[in-house]
Amino acid sequence: MKHSFHYEHAAARLMIEGLPDYSLGHDDAVLGIVSGWSLTLVGAPELEGKREHLLALMEAVLPYSRYVLSGVDGVFGDVTGPVSIQKIDNKHVISLRSSKEGIEPLQIMLDDAELSDLVRCLDDLRFDPRIMISWNLPRDQPLPRNHVVGNIPLAQRFGVPLLGTSFFALIASFLLIVPIPSGNEASPPQTIKSLPNK
Amino acid sequence: MRFWKTTKGGCLSDRTPAIISVVIESRPTIKLLQKEFLHLPSLCNTVISMHKAVLGRRGLERLDLLLLAVETLDLNGGEAMLWTSSQIGLKDQFSSRVELWKLRCHNPLRKSTRRGRLSTEDSDSLISLVSSMAKRLYPVLHQMLSAKEPDDVNGERWLLFNQRLRDLIEERMNLRRGAVQRLLENKYSSSISRQLVLTLALSAGPGGVDRLRASLLDPIP
Repeated sequence: MKHSFHYEHAAARLMIEGLPDYSLGHDDAVLGIVSGWSLTLVGAPELEGKREHLLALMEAVLPYSRYVLSGVDGVFGDVTGPVSIQKIDNKHVISLRSSKEGIEPLQIMLDDAELSDLVRCLDDLRFDPRIMISWNLPRDQPLPRNHVVGNIPLAQRFGVPLLGTSFFALIASFLLIVPIPSGNEASPPQTIKSLPNK
Repeated sequence: MRFWKTTKGGCLSDRTPAIISVVIESRPTIKLLQKEFLHLPSLCNTVISMHKAVLGRRGLERLDLLLLAVETLDLNGGEAMLWTSSQIGLKDQFSSRVELWKLRCHNPLRKSTRRGRLSTEDSDSLISLVSSMAKRLYPVLHQMLSAKEPDDVNGERWLLFNQRLRDLIEERMNLRRGAVQRLLENKYSSSISRQLVLTLALSAGPGGVDRLRASLLDPIP
């Protein structure tokens, strides 16, 4: 029994088709084998492909959205593989490369709203209990410190340490100017008043 | 355009990550995870370690700001949050507006701040609440982020959003703190507002909770 599931959010529409895998004991209501999928993004050509292509799209877009959430840019997905995504001029550019020779890579430019629509469609797909497929996607993790710190402006990164260091240097140089009292200087004679004898 | 050739394919294996994520969505999680997935120690440890992680200072600030952005978008945000929390099974954590307010007061930038850190359960509840509210407000978020909306209409939306967010910040945050002053500076406020709205949009839906939690746990100095 062939199934077709749709996931739709404003500018993105994802359709997946497939069959249950009876060899693994699936019942008729679930999808275990992907026979095809298509993705329609408003203002972009319809995309179709195999399961591997859908997986490549998820592997690029979902980690990218995780980094966007932290305000960190970068290129995600294999730049020589079927899908990669990066931010160019405030647009999210998905580059799609066909395995067939002679076909130029296709670039789809998404704004923030379209990216979030696409991410929601992919989320809906991977969390759909009717889809019995293990996508083996990496779990969302906190970013490494060097990724986060590299995104902070230099003035903000080094401002406070620089201020602290210069303040310390200023105090130290001031203290160097202050003369240290030498030990061989004669101390002023102390007058000791003799206590009256009782 | 047919970009990739469609052929029959695909494979099937166990669906443990999906199951685990569903379990995470339906709190309380950690004990259930440990009980249910004893046979997958490495996978469970990764998930559990992130769930046990306590939000740092920056994470608390961002979480409270996201809730503030929700209140900015929804005039009746306080009541909507309570209603949503009862809908997603968090009525015990947020029994009243005061309980919610007490949790939010862990933000060190607030006027009336509370010492100490949020427990993992409380922070997870707040993250789930943000995600659910973002899902509820998604049409508005989409409009604000869309480049296809008319510029003048969207400009007014952003103007109104920025003004209301500024009012809420002035009302609730400690204005003597440098971080709060930076939030109010015109130079930074619009980019911060946009990042807040984008964060809410990407936090909506089933995968948004994990994404947002991971983002709040970032080691921001």
